[in-house]
Amino acid sequence: MNSPKNRVLRWGIAPIGALAALGLLASCAAGPAASPKTDITMAVTGDPVCLDPQQVTLTTALNIGRQVVDSLIDQDAETGELVPWLAESWETNDDLTEFTFQLRDDVTFSDETALTADTVVKNLDALFEMGSTASLASQYLAGYEGSTAVDENTVTVNFESSNAQFLQGASTITLGLVSDATTELSPEDRCQTVVGTGPFTIDSYVANDSVVIAKRVGYDWASELRGHSGEALVDTVTFPITPEAGVRTGGLQTGEFDIIQDLPAVDETRFDTADYTIYARGNPGMPTSLVPNTTRPVVSDEIVRKAMLLATDRAEITALTGSSQSEPASSALSSATPGYSSQADAMAYDLDAATDLLDDNGWVVGSDGIREKDGQRLTMSVTAFYGQDVLEATQIQLAKAGIDLQLNIVTAGDFFGAIATGDYDFLSASLTRTDPDVLRVTFSKDAVSKWAIIDDAELEALLTEQATTADTTERTALIADIQEMIIDRAYLIPLLEVAQVHASTANVSGLTFDSSSRLIMYDVSVSE
Amino acid sequence: MTQVKAWAGYLLPKLGQFLFVVVATYTLVFVLVHFLPGDPLIAALAAKGGASTVIDPAELDALRVQYGLDGSLWQQYFGHLIAAAQGDLGVSISTGVPVTEMIARAFPFSVQIASLALLFGVTSAVLITFLAYAAPWPWLRQLLLQIPPFGIAVPAFLSGLLLISVFAFSLGWLPSAGARSWDAAILPAITLALPVGALFFQVFSSAVLEAQNSPFVFTAVAKGVPPRRIFTKHLLRNAMLPSITILGLLIGYLAGGTAVVETVFSRDGIGRMTVNAVLARDINVIQGVVLVVGAIYALVNLLVDVAYGFIDPRTRIGGGLPSRARLGAKK
Repeated sequence: MNSPKNRVLRWGIAPIGALAALGLLASCAAGPAASPKTDITMAVTGDPVCLDPQQVTLTTALNIGRQVVDSLIDQDAETGELVPWLAESWETNDDLTEFTFQLRDDVTFSDETALTADTVVKNLDALFEMGSTASLASQYLAGYEGSTAVDENTVTVNFESSNAQFLQGASTITLGLVSDATTELSPEDRCQTVVGTGPFTIDSYVANDSVVIAKRVGYDWASELRGHSGEALVDTVTFPITPEAGVRTGGLQTGEFDIIQDLPAVDETRFDTADYTIYARGNPGMPTSLVPNTTRPVVSDEIVRKAMLLATDRAEITALTGSSQSEPASSALSSATPGYSSQADAMAYDLDAATDLLDDNGWVVGSDGIREKDGQRLTMSVTAFYGQDVLEATQIQLAKAGIDLQLNIVTAGDFFGAIATGDYDFLSASLTRTDPDVLRVTFSKDAVSKWAIIDDAELEALLTEQATTADTTERTALIADIQEMIIDRAYLIPLLEVAQVHASTANVSGLTFDSSSRLIMYDVSVSE
Repeated sequence: MTQVKAWAGYLLPKLGQFLFVVVATYTLVFVLVHFLPGDPLIAALAAKGGASTVIDPAELDALRVQYGLDGSLWQQYFGHLIAAAQGDLGVSISTGVPVTEMIARAFPFSVQIASLALLFGVTSAVLITFLAYAAPWPWLRQLLLQIPPFGIAVPAFLSGLLLISVFAFSLGWLPSAGARSWDAAILPAITLALPVGALFFQVFSSAVLEAQNSPFVFTAVAKGVPPRRIFTKHLLRNAMLPSITILGLLIGYLAGGTAVVETVFSRDGIGRMTVNAVLARDINVIQGVVLVVGAIYALVNLLVDVAYGFIDPRTRIGGGLPSRARLGAKK
């Protein structure tokens, strides 16, 4: 910079000039991207906190862990069919208490140890011992008795009682396999390092900053559901942890990120062009719903619950609060769940029918618009720790029928505290599971999660029966009956199907969802 | 000898004050955290387990012991205090990582943007003050004096996003987020520098402009000393005490005030860690962070007091006369 005569001016310009110089340096350092692109970037919404896929339930952690850890079997996200992966074949006994897996003999972990029957035993034993530290896994392993290595590549898993969801559980990342050495670590240490057999390995993890995974050289045991075989197509994937949605979408537009997790619903139209690809899939399991405690006054009245079911306009809730990519909730199971059967007709929005039902049963509209019967006001509360917008929309809709729904938005801790003490009218949350057994988890009196409080022997019997039925056709029929019964007796007021919505630039291809709606990046490639 | 005595008499009460602030901070946070409704252990488990969380009373008890949350409140209070004095801040409930390790990891990132912010903020405040002082026309002077308050008026959340969209997305000069390269610290530091610089400016500029009207400046001007020399030799020196006071406060503000900036810029750091800990009700982390930040704040103020002793010997002679009172009296 030459010296201008005006010193004041020079002093003023100096910092701006310095800043510009720094900026230029930075842009030079970034350099031009190589072609074709083999190092890609996916912005994720939050810190994975723990990398051990067997322990975590956070979507981010699962999306990353899925690339590093393989499962015994794989599940077709469309048909729900189970196909071989690390296990070549498997069989079960009739009452679903014994599962035998025949493992591939060419699989190694990234620490070069081989996958053996013994490894599977160690994995399951260690998981069972972790108990509720691995909350989801402990539910898949309910009633676990033990497992035995029959020979080098054959392993048998035994349960005290029937466990219909175990097989599907074995296809999820939650029961994905880690190396012998990893199973021997403490739960805390496992969070920092994961050694799997997957197509990628953890290269680095800097908490609150980024995770980098690198291609596993020599990988050759992808499931048949994948688009190619052999090694992954990109060398590294960097996951910058980017909670701010505006930064994620801005970065996608400028090419700083190739893929972003959780495209906000308001931005969907902006990225719905030829330059970008939007990926959306409903979470399997139970949609966001009102889950009742039928020991409470008012809530115990089936007529009231039915009226609530009819007075809820799910199409409007989806339009107001959901992704443009998802359909209104239409059963106790979300449409992405195997065994889902639509109850859309039985739960169609009909405000007149709802008000008639209440009128006929003596619920009279009071001066403030809220109904009353025998001095009892038609008011109840819902306890939730997320989805306030969904509940607000529901509250407004129910008010039109004279039903007063009070929102009680609490922290996650208080939510589970309320479950532990049974102190609630309705709970609201969704529950992601790849198996329709999620119905038993939600509604059975014996389930450890204890969500709905319902005393219905008929429903309980059906829930138990489906969990012990090995025949798929028979079980699907039972699951359909259960869904019908739940909607018919209004044991659940479904509100919204939760969807995973991600976006990428148009040159990204091969990004797919697994059956739990977690991302698979094995087939991902980026053309320039 | 008397010199040493004077210093001891001046410093010992300050040291006592330092310890008191640290212990009082710990106590206050302990009370606040423990009298909030809800169970922190269930909260932390729920943060990790999401909708799949299962609450098993027997396991809860075992975990309580593991994380030092068992026993009476008194036992917990003194247990954690003694452990903290030995440098052990416990284990994070939601991540299982020792709190000291978490703080040691995140701290340098916050220090990086905080010190840069301080540098940017103070430099620009001094610069604008000088320009205002040297401005040949009153309207320009008034205009310059009006600029810095904007730094406080615009929330860091907004200014951060604006900076990102201009310098990262439109111009592509600097990274939008993260702490993966050294230049990623520049935009967050500028965001933080806006309020910091503005606050510093308020104190600094009024001290300078006040001193401008004093007799010794009048004399200097009469002697024909050039304006830049008057500014550096006379005005700067005079504005030093109030400036150091506000610097101490600003460092305290920066130690805790990085939360928004670190979230907007997706940076690792103490602030973001605290936000996450509060969301997960991870009380061991909350206590650890507040204790460390409290200690830094107290330490900075201790250093400020020592600096007074050097800059203005009058504060020492009084045998530990509170320096802030002295400063107030001077005003």
